[in-house]
Amino acid sequence: METTLHSLYLGFSVALEPHNAWYAFLGCVVGTLVGVLPGVGPLAGISILLPVTFGLNATQAIIMLAGIYYGSQYGGSTTSILMRIPGEASSVMTCIDGYAMAQKGRAGSALCIAAVGSWIGGTFGVLVLTVVAPPLATIALRFGPPEYTALLVLGLIFLAYMSSSSLIRTLLMACLGLLLGMIGIDNMTGHFRYSFDLAELGDGIGIVPVAVGLFGLGEILSTPSADAVKTIISPKLRELLPTRKEWREASMPIGRGTLLGFFIGIIPGSAHIISSFLSYALEKRVSRRPEQFGKGAVAGVAGPETANNAASTGAFVPMLALGIPTSPITAVLIGALMLHGVQVGPTLVNEHPDVFWGFVASMYVGNVMLLALNLPLVSLFVWVLRIPYAYLYPLIIMFCIIGVYETNNSIVDVWIMLIMGILGYALRKFEFDPAPLVLGLVIAPILEQSLRQSLIMSNGNYFIFFNRPIAAGLMLVSAFLLALSGFSFLMKRKDWRDQLAEAEAGEPSA
Amino acid sequence: MTLRADHIAGAFFIAFGLLVIALSGDLPVGSLSFPGAGFMPHVLAVLTISFGIVLVARASESKPFATLSWADAKHAALVVLVTAAAAAVFEWLGFLTTDVLLIFALLVIIERKRLVPAAAYSIGLVVFTYVLFVYVLKTPLETGPLGF
Repeated sequence: METTLHSLYLGFSVALEPHNAWYAFLGCVVGTLVGVLPGVGPLAGISILLPVTFGLNATQAIIMLAGIYYGSQYGGSTTSILMRIPGEASSVMTCIDGYAMAQKGRAGSALCIAAVGSWIGGTFGVLVLTVVAPPLATIALRFGPPEYTALLVLGLIFLAYMSSSSLIRTLLMACLGLLLGMIGIDNMTGHFRYSFDLAELGDGIGIVPVAVGLFGLGEILSTPSADAVKTIISPKLRELLPTRKEWREASMPIGRGTLLGFFIGIIPGSAHIISSFLSYALEKRVSRRPEQFGKGAVAGVAGPETANNAASTGAFVPMLALGIPTSPITAVLIGALMLHGVQVGPTLVNEHPDVFWGFVASMYVGNVMLLALNLPLVSLFVWVLRIPYAYLYPLIIMFCIIGVYETNNSIVDVWIMLIMGILGYALRKFEFDPAPLVLGLVIAPILEQSLRQSLIMSNGNYFIFFNRPIAAGLMLVSAFLLALSGFSFLMKRKDWRDQLAEAEAGEPSA
Repeated sequence: MTLRADHIAGAFFIAFGLLVIALSGDLPVGSLSFPGAGFMPHVLAVLTISFGIVLVARASESKPFATLSWADAKHAALVVLVTAAAAAVFEWLGFLTTDVLLIFALLVIIERKRLVPAAAYSIGLVVFTYVLFVYVLKTPLETGPLGF
């Protein structure tokens, strides 16, 4: 514990350096804007702004990019509450009761509860991260290829089980992503795979063009400017304080959202999105007045907003301790650190303590900054929302091109982004969630390499995944989840996705 | 039988899986114990085809294809065309010229904005971004034949 406190002291001394604090602030402001603006999610936002960090050192870069990530979770609530437009996917549930509160003249309270909940969720997440990540990294040093293979398999199965779209759709998206991840030179044999004589494809398809295409350009293609009609409820500063009754109603959902969000955040998948959906369903189920949901229930704002922030912090645990991306966003963050010569994994905490602890401490600072920023500056963010979409999306396209091109100075990446934009548009039409595709793309090379290394280690014997305790444990959990999904599928039983859909539609759950 | 959205989606994934197998012809598959470069792609392609078949088989749960709205398709196609044109000339004309033309084209051709405000917005925005990246953030942007 003493070591942790000493390391945290080092972290704060790094995070509070004027330059680093400035980049945390910048990340928080940009992140809030990314969250506020419909059509620019945190993944596209971080990817687009990746080149901006090229002139910074690794600590500043990760502090700023992470600020964009958790800042976007705060900002996403603003548009949801004031316009009923989710600034980003994890704020969808906030639209329902947040906007209903705004229509009742309680927009300020809803914004305040969302901000305070986000702060509590985010800060709790960082506290647990501080305590858990270093010992977990020590355990992870014992991980070999079989453990990594088992962990990634578990991640994929968890992703399919927890995804908000259907199991088959999620698996198809993951397969598509894994297949895209096969493009490029095979590390084990040197064979070129599907590179069509393009030297740029030798290193494979990068996550940035895929993420920006699917989530940035794809969203723009799906949003004709004529449809982006906005009615904005603008709260006054003096209306921001909730009543005592509202605080009471928010307290338990914030507590539950914090715990739920953090633990879902650790699990692979689009945790910040799933956690807000599950938190809403949980609050509705435990509420004494479930009929209030959809009509301005405080718990319907407090729970999901807290959960998505706690989840976005929770996602940093496997990223920092194991070096494994559990979401497309943490994959981009790992990529950003690698661009700065920092290898993320169990050795990070010992080899780059300034980066690790500086980053952790900056999240404490960033969460306080966001709480201070979001409430007084809500009018400024509302003003940004008044920019007509017709003028806004050309700006986003320009940043998409800059972000994608500058990462590798490759025009092929811009073409890939364009193709992914068209794919993203089509996937939305056919109701596929593109997030598992990006995750599949990221983990494909790691999964394939660790599987083949494991088989070399065991002389081709698959029992290597079952006779090592950690790998066997992870495989057991995977088998249990698969059996659970298979049982629901065969028995045509409703799983949590169907029950949630019914809960949203106001139908009784079977 | 009504053609449904998942019939089309499933057929796409089946075709994609078959295409991957066709393109993987020269990759060594190896064996189950010692997988080669083509092993994972083959496994994934077979899984994609299998899941595609399940999607088609359960297509009755999806919307009829005819009910999908394509009202935004024209807008989307125009945005793609303009962006593709920008990508085609980006390395030749450089950031400043390409992006001024890109934003101007999006505003005038697609959004039907008036010429003068569109031109002012395009030039102002791109110059601001150029200054921000090149001079403030020290991130060089692609230059054109005139050196900017």
